[in-house]
Amino acid sequence: MSNFTLNVNGTSSTVDVTDDTPLLWVLRDTLGLVGTKYGCGIGECGACTVHLDGVAAKSCGVTVKDATAAKITTIEGLAPGGKLTVLQQAWCHLDVPQCGYCQSGQIMCATALLAKKPKPTDEEIDYALSANICRCATYTRIRAAIHAAATVA
Amino acid sequence: MSVAPNSPGLTTIMDRRGFLKVGALAGGGLLISAYFPLGSSLAEAQTAPAAGAAPDFAPNVFIRIAPDGAVSLIAPNSEMGQGAKTALPMIIAEELDVDWKQVTVHQGDLNPAYGRQSAVGSGSTTGNYAALRQAGATARAMLVAAAAQTWGVPAAECSTAAGAVLHAVSSRRLTYGELTATAATLPVPTGVPLKDPKDFKLIGTRVPGVDNEKIVTGQPLYGIDQRLPGMLYAAYVKCPVFGGKPVSANLDEVKKLPGVRDAFVLENINGLVPGVAIVADSTWNAFSAVGKLKVQWDEGPGVSQNSEDMAKQAAALAQAAAVAPPAAPVKAVEAVYHYPFLAHATLEPQNCTAVFKDGVMEMWCPTQVPSAGQGLVTRGLGLAAGNVKVHVTRVGGGFGRRGSNEFSLEVAAIAQKLEGTPVKLTWMREHDFGHDNYRSNGWHFFNGGVDAAGKVVALQDYFVKMLGGPGDMNGGGFPFNAVPGSSVQSGKLPGPIPTGYWRAPGDNGNTWAVQCFVDELAHAAGRDPLDFTLDLLAALPGAAARGGPAPAAAAGGGRRGGGGRGGGFAAAKMVAVLKLATDQAGWGRKLPRGQGQGLAVCNANGAYVAVVADVTVSPQGVLKITKLTAAVDAGLIMNLSSAESQVQGAMLDGIGAAWFLKITIEKGAAAQVNFDDYPLMRLEHSPPVVDVHFLPSVSPPTGLGEPGLPPAAPAVCNAIFAATGIRIRTLPFSGQDLKWS
Ligand code: FES
Ligand code: FES
Repeated sequence: MSNFTLNVNGTSSTVDVTDDTPLLWVLRDTLGLVGTKYGCGIGECGACTVHLDGVAAKSCGVTVKDATAAKITTIEGLAPGGKLTVLQQAWCHLDVPQCGYCQSGQIMCATALLAKKPKPTDEEIDYALSANICRCATYTRIRAAIHAAATVA
Repeated sequence: MSVAPNSPGLTTIMDRRGFLKVGALAGGGLLISAYFPLGSSLAEAQTAPAAGAAPDFAPNVFIRIAPDGAVSLIAPNSEMGQGAKTALPMIIAEELDVDWKQVTVHQGDLNPAYGRQSAVGSGSTTGNYAALRQAGATARAMLVAAAAQTWGVPAAECSTAAGAVLHAVSSRRLTYGELTATAATLPVPTGVPLKDPKDFKLIGTRVPGVDNEKIVTGQPLYGIDQRLPGMLYAAYVKCPVFGGKPVSANLDEVKKLPGVRDAFVLENINGLVPGVAIVADSTWNAFSAVGKLKVQWDEGPGVSQNSEDMAKQAAALAQAAAVAPPAAPVKAVEAVYHYPFLAHATLEPQNCTAVFKDGVMEMWCPTQVPSAGQGLVTRGLGLAAGNVKVHVTRVGGGFGRRGSNEFSLEVAAIAQKLEGTPVKLTWMREHDFGHDNYRSNGWHFFNGGVDAAGKVVALQDYFVKMLGGPGDMNGGGFPFNAVPGSSVQSGKLPGPIPTGYWRAPGDNGNTWAVQCFVDELAHAAGRDPLDFTLDLLAALPGAAARGGPAPAAAAGGGRRGGGGRGGGFAAAKMVAVLKLATDQAGWGRKLPRGQGQGLAVCNANGAYVAVVADVTVSPQGVLKITKLTAAVDAGLIMNLSSAESQVQGAMLDGIGAAWFLKITIEKGAAAQVNFDDYPLMRLEHSPPVVDVHFLPSVSPPTGLGEPGLPPAAPAVCNAIFAATGIRIRTLPFSGQDLKWS
């Protein structure tokens, strides 16, 4: 067990966890930020996606130690002050979620994509979200919501 | 006529003002280290009224109206993505005549007063529709009576709209909130008349899911999100070989690992698969300890089971049972179709939270059938009846997996040992794959033929699956019911491989095989597959309405289990969806080699669905599905948004499984243990256009979470044949060479 100081959603917190703990479990179990989901633990499903310095990363594959160097943003931190981002609004309005379990990962990936490419093509969307499984296969609406957000933004 | 354009809300979303309004409703603050007990009931939702304030009006367990006009409604069934948490309260709100914006929805905990709380068999809506309408209509009638009494006018002169009672003659209006005190004093009437479905205002519209804003801001909702003060985290390890049990384990070593608080064997508990429990101060420390756990297993006889041997056994059964076709066809067609075991692979792994105190087990369960978990725990641990309290959380994917509740018993057994300490059990993904109730593998040995006129004169199916579990077939379903002398026989493979309900049980594999074989027969007859199928249907009673509107309220429910539809089959409905899907898809166009259209149809859970798939296959064999077109008769549609989404998702689910997925059994255990070897469909495989058209209907709603799945994969396989001449008879087909020249 060691102390690590993390910057999550603009707040600095010191946690005392086993050194090899993945960021995913520090977020969920220690900090109570359960919006970041566990799906596979091996980097195959994307449910655990967060931003490290604005870049999408799978938190199940980042140790707490490596995470101390970055500014971490989780799904809970996307809408500071409770004002949903345009992408989150599109997600609600187009009713993308089914079970919803994958959606925080999808939204984190899509948000990182739109920051780089404000008007992505279908191919660019498919590529950027290729690491994210939706078991409910809400793919039709995921694409539609990203395009809708790109149009409005 | 189609009522559902694709890409929901794309036109509305361009309206910037309407669009941005959505955001104003939302909250999404940063929450750290708070505890969130999930699940609630209306009793808990009620905040204590201020002294002297009017009481709430709660005429039944589903409805509570506060004096400020706020309406709280209960969603009795689990929400696992099928939309029940939104659609069921919509039914109440429709009859109650309130504005949806006034409504707050609460997930109902397990409570016999809520009626059918089982979210299986696409039955949440069909099973609750009548009761929820009655609940809403009764409350509305009481509010009308309260207003009539207040005004001293006959109730018949009063009407309601958007949460208020109106007296048009005197231009008076009282909101439901203003009427709660009076309404609460009135007797609860029975047999209140319901709305004419033609007058529905909310039902049939697009209503976004009630939890959407919580989902997009990452707020706690799911079983796995449950946190309680002092909670510990558990993992549970069972023998990878089905039927095996632990003999010994290095528990003393494991107990010394970082963060581990306890480790013990659980066995001899009624209904529990024995195994080793590890309890730690974090999920990670529990999972890490699993990596260091060494168990000596007694694998039992299950270790002799292999998928490969099962194929040989199936062929031997078919050979032993072979009978000669009844008539000598001009063209005989024989084919063997095979599909593998499938895992449910819900993205939220199985998990459950429990605390045991003073003889009472309180649980937070992501389950499709909360009463089943309650029963399992009560019986397994010998608790007093009524001492297992079940809160229902949102469910991160069901697909039939969470009809079985073994995770409830596992965590309860652990919690009982740690009396007073809450514990959350989370299955590692590897355990989730390794201990599923799999979709059974299956084989269809077909024997059919057509005469010189292209008519089917022989149709026999010898069907093999695992013993037990759902998915049996009889000869009563289409197309067997349309061919005189047809037969369906079946053989069973024994063994300890657990099989169970997987979205559209039976139909998910059987419809694929049967609908592909029908396509083979059509091609053998030199006929267009649509005309061929319509001719088969024309032989059935009730098909005369062909091309006309579907008859109202026919076929209440197709029986479950693949093809065994018996008397519930409505040929005219099948004709209608075939016509609509093919019209919308532009069926019958001449296409160049490498492009193809395929068709398939099914009836499941009372609904009728036809799917046309458009595909391209490059000469190198690269498949792209360019468009899916579905036509659906599911009776009255509750929530158009989730109805469309369910059909889209179900089609892709069926196609993804057929394309990529299999569980193989090697030495009595599942060979695939995570998503790297169980490659679920991803965005890049998803067609750019997925259209869903609903036949207008005022018949009672049928199920809708499953029926879109069965016809999708055969439509794609038939389209691949049309494009390439390559027939797919074994799933998954990702390994099959689709090259053509
Ligand atoms: S949990 Fe990290 S990618 Fe699946
Ligand atoms: S919405 Fe269920 S996994 Fe994506």
